[in-house]
Amino acid sequence: MGATLTRRRLLAGAAGAAAAAALGGCGTDDPNTLVVMGNNPAEVTDQDVAEFVHAHPGVTVKFVAVDQSLLTAMFAAGNPPDLVRDQGVNNTPYLVARDLAENLDPYFARSTALSVDKLAPANDVWRYDGSRQGSGPRYGLVKDYSQDAMFWCNTTVFDAAGVDLPSTTEPIDYDEWLDLARRLTKRNGAQYRTYGLVPPFDNSLSAGFINMVSSAGGSIFSEDFSTVDFSSPEAAAALRWYLTYAADQVGSTVARPLPAGSSPTFSADQLAMLGYGYWFSGLVSADDTLAKDVMFFPAPRFGPKRTSPCLAGTGFWIPKRAKHKDLAWAFCEHYFGGPPATRRAQSGWGLPGITSLLSDLPSDKPYQRQALGVQKTELDHFSVLDFSPYVAYTALDASLSQQLRKGIEAGLPAGKVADLINDTLNPLLKLGKELVS
Amino acid sequence: MTATQTGGTLRVPARTTAGTSSAARGWRRYRPATFYGFIAPWLAGFVLLTLFPLGYALWLSTTNYDGMTGRYRYVGLDNYTAIASDPDALHALARTGLYTLGTVPLSIAFGLLLAVLLNQQIRARGAFRALIYLPAVVPIVGSALCFKMLFNADFGAVNAVIGLVGIPPVDWLSDPGVFVVLVAVTLWGVGASMIISLSGLQGIPRELQEAARVDGAGAWQVFSKITLPLLSPIILFQVITGIIGSVQGFVAPLLLTASSGTASVTSVPQSTYLYMIHVYAQYFAYGRFGYASALLWVLFVLILLLTVVIFRVSARAVFYENAPDTPTRRRRTRETPEVTR
Repeated sequence: MGATLTRRRLLAGAAGAAAAAALGGCGTDDPNTLVVMGNNPAEVTDQDVAEFVHAHPGVTVKFVAVDQSLLTAMFAAGNPPDLVRDQGVNNTPYLVARDLAENLDPYFARSTALSVDKLAPANDVWRYDGSRQGSGPRYGLVKDYSQDAMFWCNTTVFDAAGVDLPSTTEPIDYDEWLDLARRLTKRNGAQYRTYGLVPPFDNSLSAGFINMVSSAGGSIFSEDFSTVDFSSPEAAAALRWYLTYAADQVGSTVARPLPAGSSPTFSADQLAMLGYGYWFSGLVSADDTLAKDVMFFPAPRFGPKRTSPCLAGTGFWIPKRAKHKDLAWAFCEHYFGGPPATRRAQSGWGLPGITSLLSDLPSDKPYQRQALGVQKTELDHFSVLDFSPYVAYTALDASLSQQLRKGIEAGLPAGKVADLINDTLNPLLKLGKELVS
Repeated sequence: MTATQTGGTLRVPARTTAGTSSAARGWRRYRPATFYGFIAPWLAGFVLLTLFPLGYALWLSTTNYDGMTGRYRYVGLDNYTAIASDPDALHALARTGLYTLGTVPLSIAFGLLLAVLLNQQIRARGAFRALIYLPAVVPIVGSALCFKMLFNADFGAVNAVIGLVGIPPVDWLSDPGVFVVLVAVTLWGVGASMIISLSGLQGIPRELQEAARVDGAGAWQVFSKITLPLLSPIILFQVITGIIGSVQGFVAPLLLTASSGTASVTSVPQSTYLYMIHVYAQYFAYGRFGYASALLWVLFVLILLLTVVIFRVSARAVFYENAPDTPTRRRRTRETPEVTR
């Protein structure tokens, strides 16, 4: 640094450093470094990575935290990750409409490790043809999946309450489900000894509602997905059910989530029915006591149509502007079609995305055999939910959460809550349509 | 350079250049570079972490950017006018104002009370100071989670205690009880205010208090007429930093919410749904980056205005032992290098 350093130069240098840092993001130009926005080692294990690196000498896999704000910043800097963990059910139309995700069909066409005919139907949640989800090009793959509207019962709680378990072959309807919850809930004012029910809204409120409305034969969206209408008879009925469930105080709601969370409460014999999918079997396997007390049941029916969709479809997609797309696809071949996929299936943390791996699901313990039996029958009722390309599912969830909470706290009728939701979401959908058109 | 003291005046000899060596003259050439070199790290941080985000947010606030779509457009002041018709934003702002009005004076008053107590000659004074300051060192994540357990409706200690006297259990972590818990979490960190007030108390010359006592002043008069005025700059500092901290309150209300993930931001109960929670929800739950940036700028301007108003209002109430420099005073000091004690 010499005497020629002036104030102007210093300010210019500082501004330059700021701009460079802001635009730098977390991606990399190194052709041998794969940047993955994923959960390591929880979901992508160190062994998965080591095997990949062994097969691709010189390659380094760098993980960045799964974080929407970080992803936004990386995209804004023009330096997105090479692979992104996400939920296909709620995100695929949104990503495709914004031209963010790479079409994987050409990669499948030249792949020997992964072929379309090996994929489980759940992978269809990652397909979008420009108007409907479930058909058209593929934009991602599920690492595993569940039919998340199914539920688990804690038989200890049922026995203590003297209540009979529901049928494992025929789905009960939502009103019967609520009635069961009322009989199983034991509380003294605000203090609960046992909760009756946590319905399948934990992962995504909007997915839970779309499933209910779909079972009743309706849709929350207009035909072109540019507006929502929660005042329709089917959607209003779903809202009414939720508000009744909240008023009955039989379980977790947006206004009063379970203090300890759903899984720990269920495991502690303080919750009778838990709306989680098959993946919960993996968590149960670590608890021998709980494993003796659980049973798995088909997804309840809200309307005349029996539906049992996947409500998440967690997997990975490759950004269109990723710098190492071929390397990312090579990782996909390993992770979705190689030994990691087999190990995931054997763990029981969800159904495999590759159909042939169904035989690897665990069946050593009685609860695993019972769950697997119910699950295999349920596969016949798998369906793909429709989401709008014009709004992020987080906005759908946020609006539902905020307005339902207001409805519960103020005792508003379903029609008023529907109006509040419509008033929040329709301007967002309008903006979204304007942005992608 | 040496200073000589005559009477109450400290005389500093004027600098002369007669004896300056050529080496010193050479070094003087590098003085600007040295200055800029030393301030460069701060300046880079200021530009990178303050100026650039401020400017970026200002620009975003005039667009309809949703965080992911490249095709956004300029919308002028639409986002700012939308704030006026957003009941959630207005309610959150009012709630944040109430929270600030409640917690800032309470924190400062409790902190001052504790500081006065711990400024006395009592046994194990150091231990008491350390114990009371300790909660302020615990990260807010830790203390909020502890409070969440204590106030848990089903198995929390608070319901167990009130149950002993026949009070039915209360759902503390839902509306409206959760606001009480939030205030309690905030006041739990009162040790930070205590330590600042204590340092101020220790800077007050004892002879002033002793002189007042000799003149017949009681304990309250000494405190209100001597201690408090001399402590007023410290209190002003705490008021301003306390207000800025409170209006930016975010982590504690979020941690007191039972659910997790992005959705938790919209599950925050109504009574603790503060302004920054609304901003975060608009950014990352609703994807309204332009609107959320406008909300932030409105808050930024409000804090600036509030700070200016507080400075103006407090000008008469705050007593500075050494009055801040005025242009006249600075000019005189430069011309006559003497400092009056």
